[in-house]
Amino acid sequence: MKGIAHFTAGVAVASCFPAAVQSGASGNPLYFVLGGVAGLMADTLDFKFYRFFYRHDAEITPDPLAPDATQIADALAEAVAQASRNGRPFRLRLNSIRLGPDEWQSYRVNFNLHEDEVRVELGPVVDTGGSPVSDAVAECPVGIAKLEVPVHLEYFADVRIDAFEGPLFRILPVSGGGVRLEFIPWHRSWSHSFFVGACCALVALMLWGRLAGAVVMGAYSSHILLDQLGYLGSNLFWPFSRSRTPGLKMQHSGNAFANFYAVWLSLSLIFLNLARYASLPDEGGLLSFRLVFWSALLLPPVWALLRHLPK
Amino acid sequence: MSEHFYMIVPAALAGLMLSVPCACVPGLHIYNILGLLALGAYHLSGACSGIPSELTIPFVSGMLTGYAVLNTIPAVLLAAPDESSMFTVQPGQKMLMRGRGLDGVITTAFGSAGALLLIPLVLAPLALTVLPTIYKIVRPHTHWVLWCVIAFMLMSEWPHPLPNGQAGLRRFLAAWKSLAIGLLTFLLAGLLGFIIFFAPIGYTATAFQNLLPAFVGLFTMPWLLMNLVSGVEPPPQKSDAATVTLCPGSVVYGSLAGALGGGFAAFFPVITGGVGGFLAGHTVAMRDSRSFLISQGASKLVYYVGGFLLFFVPGLGVRRGGGAWMVSGLVTPYTRYEFFTALSAVALSGALALLLVEPLTKVVLRLIAHAGLRKVSLVALVVMVGLVYAMTGLAGLLVMLTATGIGLLPIIYGARRMNCLAVILLPMACNMSGFGARIVHGMGLL
Repeated sequence: MKGIAHFTAGVAVASCFPAAVQSGASGNPLYFVLGGVAGLMADTLDFKFYRFFYRHDAEITPDPLAPDATQIADALAEAVAQASRNGRPFRLRLNSIRLGPDEWQSYRVNFNLHEDEVRVELGPVVDTGGSPVSDAVAECPVGIAKLEVPVHLEYFADVRIDAFEGPLFRILPVSGGGVRLEFIPWHRSWSHSFFVGACCALVALMLWGRLAGAVVMGAYSSHILLDQLGYLGSNLFWPFSRSRTPGLKMQHSGNAFANFYAVWLSLSLIFLNLARYASLPDEGGLLSFRLVFWSALLLPPVWALLRHLPK
Repeated sequence: MSEHFYMIVPAALAGLMLSVPCACVPGLHIYNILGLLALGAYHLSGACSGIPSELTIPFVSGMLTGYAVLNTIPAVLLAAPDESSMFTVQPGQKMLMRGRGLDGVITTAFGSAGALLLIPLVLAPLALTVLPTIYKIVRPHTHWVLWCVIAFMLMSEWPHPLPNGQAGLRRFLAAWKSLAIGLLTFLLAGLLGFIIFFAPIGYTATAFQNLLPAFVGLFTMPWLLMNLVSGVEPPPQKSDAATVTLCPGSVVYGSLAGALGGGFAAFFPVITGGVGGFLAGHTVAMRDSRSFLISQGASKLVYYVGGFLLFFVPGLGVRRGGGAWMVSGLVTPYTRYEFFTALSAVALSGALALLLVEPLTKVVLRLIAHAGLRKVSLVALVVMVGLVYAMTGLAGLLVMLTATGIGLLPIIYGARRMNCLAVILLPMACNMSGFGARIVHGMGLL
C-alpha cells in the first residue's frame, strides 16, 4: 500500500479508542498524530534508513552510451551461479541507466523458470514518471543467458528497471540445489514485524502512557496487515523468523483502486468513530453516511468475484 | 422567481471574462481582484445591502470558476503558479520542454472538466444532505486533522538515493540532503508565517492581501527566476489539441482523487488548495504524470468552487476561502435558492471556461515562441513585483524577497516545494491547538 493509505489507516485505528477521540475533541492532537506516524513508521524505517546501509556484493551498471542487454543477462546468470557454487547468499544490485536529467533507459528482467534462463530486454527511454519520451530502440535490445541452477522466486518473474535506484536481489542457496531470489530484501524485513511494533508501542507507553502505547501498537499492526494483502509479504515474526511470510496476493501494493479504497474506508471509519463519540442525535445525514460506509465494505468481495470471472 | 433573475447569466459571463486576465497574468490572484471589488462594493452600497444577490453570486461564481480552470495556463507554460496549482509546474514544464505544452494544459483541464461534472452531480447533493451533520461532528477535531496533514507532509517525502554505489553513511547522507533541505524549508516557511500573521509589519489589513507577498515569493518567483537564470527555451510546440491522448480510466480516477483532495481542502479551514493537490497526488498513487495532472486540475477547481459553494449550503454556515469571506459581507444566504444560483453559474461559466482553454493556451504559446520564455518570464516577474508593491508597499516587497529565498531552497536542492505551505499550516495549527501565543511571545513578536 502507498503511504497515504497506511497513514489514514493508522489514524483510523486511533479513532477506535474513545479516550483518543475525547482527547482530540478537547484540543489534544497527540493520539491521532501518533496513529498516523505509527501507521507509516515501518516504511519510514526501510526507505529512509535501512536501505542506505544494506550492502551488496556486486552491482550491474550498464553503460548509458551503449547499454547491452546480453551483458546484463550474463552478469545476472553469473551471480546466480556464484551463489550456488559458494553456498553463500549473494547480494546483487541492478542499477538504473540514467541518460539525462529526466531521461532513463528502461529495461526489463524476466526469469523464465521453465527454460531455466534469464531474459533482459531494453525498453523505451522514459522520464522519471515512467512515461516513454522517445521511440528509439537500443542496438542490442534483447539478451538471454542460461541459468546453471533452478531459481525459485518469491516475487514476480518480471522486473522493470527505469528511474532512480534499481532493485537489489538477495540470491540464497536452498537445500536440494538451486537458489531462491529475494526481491529488495531490505524492505519488509525486521521493520514489518509485530515485535518492532511492540517496541515502538513500549516507547510510546513510556513517553505518553498506556493509551499512546495501544494506539501505536494498533496503527503499526495495521501497516503490517495491510501490506500482507499484497504479493511480497513481510517478515511478521522477526526475530524468531528470518524470512518473509508470503502475502495473500489479493492486490498489488501500487494498485490505484486498492489504495483509493483503503483511504476512503479509513476516512469513513474515522468519521463514524467521531460521530459515535460525539453524542449527537442520529440525523438523516449521518444515516446516509453509514449506508455509504457499510455498502463500501461490500466492494472488495464484489471486486474479488469479478476478478475471478472468466474473461 | 426574483425580479433580478435575468441578471444571472450576464453576471456569470462578466465574472468569467474578468477571470481571464486574473488567471493569465502571472502573480495576479483572483482574491486580490475580488478583494478590491468587494471594497468598492462596500463603499458603493453603504450598508452592503444595495446589490442584488442575483448579481453578486453568479458574478463571483463566474470569476472563481473561470480562474480555477484557466490558471493552469501560466502554471504550465510560464511556471508561474498560484499556491493551488503549484504541483502542475514540474510535470507541466517537462511537457513544455518536450514540445507538449498544450498537451499539459489540456490534460489538466480534463481534470477540471471531471470536477465540473462531479460538483453538480455528486458533491452538491451530498453537501445539501450530509454535510451539515458531518460538519457538526468534525468541527471540534479540526486542529488534529491539521497536525496529521503536517505529519504526513513531513513523513511522506522520500529521499532520492544515488543511482549506484555501495551502501553506507555516504550514501545515507547524500540521500538525506534533500530531506534535510525539505525540513529546513518547512521550518523557515513556518517562521515566516508566524511573522506575517502576528508581527505588525504594516500591510496586513490592506484589501485582504496579507498572504500575497509570501505566496508570490514562495510559489511564483522562484521558477521565474530559474527561467531567467537558466535561459532554456522550449522547443517548437505541437499545437493540435486533437493529438492529446488520455485513457478514460485515468480521467475518471484522477478526477475522483482530485475531487477528494480538493473537497478535503475546501471543507477544512486553513487547509489550502496546495495541500488538497498534494493529498490528491498521493491518493492517485501512480507515477503516470497525466493522471497526476488530471488530479491537480480537479483538486484546484473543487477547492476554489467547492469552498465558495459551501457558504450557500443551508444550515451549514461556514465560510471557506477568500471568495466566500468577501461575498459574506454582501450576501446572506437564506434558502436553497442562493445555492442553486451559484451552482448554475458555476456550471455555465465552467463549460465556457473549458472552451477558452485551448485558444488562450495557443495565444500564450505564440507569445513565448515570439518573445522567448526568458523575456516573457522577465515581464511576468516585473508585473508581479509591481503588483506586490502596489498592494502591500515596501514591507510587502521585503516579505516577498524573504519568501523567494525560502522558495528557492527546494528548487535548487531538489527537495519538495510543498514544504513552503508551512507558511500557513504551522502558525495556524499551533494557534488552533492553543500554543501559538506562547511561540509568538517566544519569538518576541508580541
